[in-house]
Amino acid sequence: MDETVAEYIRRIILKIPRDEIKTMLKKWGFLSEIQLQTVNFCQVKENISRDVAQLCEENSADIKQAAVLDIIYNQTHPNKRVWSVYQMNKAGEEMEFFDLRYFKNKFKRRLQSALKNVTINFKEHEDNAIWIRIAWGTPYKKPNQYKTSYVVYHSQTPYVFISASVFKSNLPLLCQALIAASNYHDISEMELRSHSLNSLKDIVFKRYSQNFQTYYPRPLQERPVAQESADLRIIQENRNEKERIERLNWEAFGDGPLPKIEFAQYKLETMFKSNPKLDVLDKEPFRCLVKFSSPHLLESLKSLAPAGMADAPLSTLLTCIPQKARNYFRIRERTALLPGSFVSP
Amino acid sequence: GVFAHLEMLEVQAHEAAVKQEEMERQAEKLARLKARVQELRLQRNELRAKVDLQQNQQLGKGGIVSHPAQFTSEAILERKIKSIKAMLQLFYLTGISGKLTKWGVCFCISTAYEGTYLDLYYLDLVIKSEVQIRCHSIPIFIPLEQLAKKYLQTDIRRFLSVLSDHLNAYVRRRYQADQLQEHFSDQIEGTLQRNSLCNLLVFTYNVSHKGKTFPFNARLLYGDLCCSLPTEVIVSCT
Repeated sequence: MDETVAEYIRRIILKIPRDEIKTMLKKWGFLSEIQLQTVNFCQVKENISRDVAQLCEENSADIKQAAVLDIIYNQTHPNKRVWSVYQMNKAGEEMEFFDLRYFKNKFKRRLQSALKNVTINFKEHEDNAIWIRIAWGTPYKKPNQYKTSYVVYHSQTPYVFISASVFKSNLPLLCQALIAASNYHDISEMELRSHSLNSLKDIVFKRYSQNFQTYYPRPLQERPVAQESADLRIIQENRNEKERIERLNWEAFGDGPLPKIEFAQYKLETMFKSNPKLDVLDKEPFRCLVKFSSPHLLESLKSLAPAGMADAPLSTLLTCIPQKARNYFRIRERTALLPGSFVSP
Repeated sequence: GVFAHLEMLEVQAHEAAVKQEEMERQAEKLARLKARVQELRLQRNELRAKVDLQQNQQLGKGGIVSHPAQFTSEAILERKIKSIKAMLQLFYLTGISGKLTKWGVCFCISTAYEGTYLDLYYLDLVIKSEVQIRCHSIPIFIPLEQLAKKYLQTDIRRFLSVLSDHLNAYVRRRYQADQLQEHFSDQIEGTLQRNSLCNLLVFTYNVSHKGKTFPFNARLLYGDLCCSLPTEVIVSCT
């Protein structure tokens, strides 16, 4: 058996948190129960990884099986990668019977006809997503298993989630194979990027809780008015203002958990406005880049107005992120009357 | 002398008998009347009790009646709430309900299959010179844009009806696939292979006959997106 495979498996084990190793190996299913019982999972990770690699060698693991373990690790920890969202377009309106076998075959054939040295593995995930792992090589070198790209696709949707690797030059090839396999015409990158794959899915599939005004059947949620029953000696002077801010916040962000994105970037190309006017900056648009970063940007934006750090209502540039499904903006000078039109792709 | 005396005695006896009879009759009458009196007394008491009861009830009602405003407004409010609740329940049962918003309407489409309520989907419409979809929670694989292009401007009822058909059919197909996976997991090999719309199901199952098991492969195609039954089934023995 190839020693590189054992080493690769060993490196994967080292990445997995120690208390998850056993469950992940069980899910992998390559090693038998008896073999797993011989491993002491309480020792140092270094030793666990060596023991497991030894067992895999005894079972003659090949790269395909090792790739499956890699996919399982990435499916459990997708937030270790940065994901971009791509949108596909199709001209026709025919209804598709998406056949997984057909998709896999077509994708493989298309990619391998362009580049022979690739390792392609597929694995379906619980939420009906298809995970594709691609290890890239060159016409002269074998695929590098440590620099992999991942693609996550939900059938019959126009969105693909790609975590590209260092080899960005292979992206066009990957995109071509995707549209060929899924019967679409073209593909373009959206301005939406994050570590949290599930949040990206929530945004484009509109799975986050938007506030819809309906009568039924959800019971009216009681807004916390517990402050009223607190100490009567404490008087809320700004209660009206507080309630106004809360209401506006609710209208902008809704009730439930927000999708998790880490940053929003605004490229400004607007005229510099100052008082007194500075002639030198009057001629051309003032270019600057504004970047907001946070472990959970949308939640922090939601808490700005109640914390008193910003005026409510918040700028629509900030609140439109989930609806517009983007966190990269380019803002030019306002030319039209409609407020939404000055945000350009 | 003697006969006259005897005649006199006879007449006296006759008179005494008549008197006795009269007295007996009177006593009888008295007893009867007394019984009647008892009867009437009982009846009177009963009726009295009834009247008292009614009077008390009257008094009770009379208590509210004595505050006319409270009685009518409370009851009216209760009736209003009851009828509104019934209306909302009716809307929920029809599957499509809506609420006017400051910019248009927000529709709620509810889905169900054989008595089980399933998911709810929302569609927020802006009504200006033309109808636009502001935001929605319709799954991405439902052809919302196509339907909107066809019907939204011209026939909103048809749009909602067709959309509701699509959503209901999708939810029912998915529910059936889930139920199949859940209840027949021992006969199906591996997992059910399906796609997002659940309009193509592929699975392998075992049929045992005379001690031997035969693996069969089934492929269900649902050609009509508004229908929750397959249009084509291919079964092969592997």
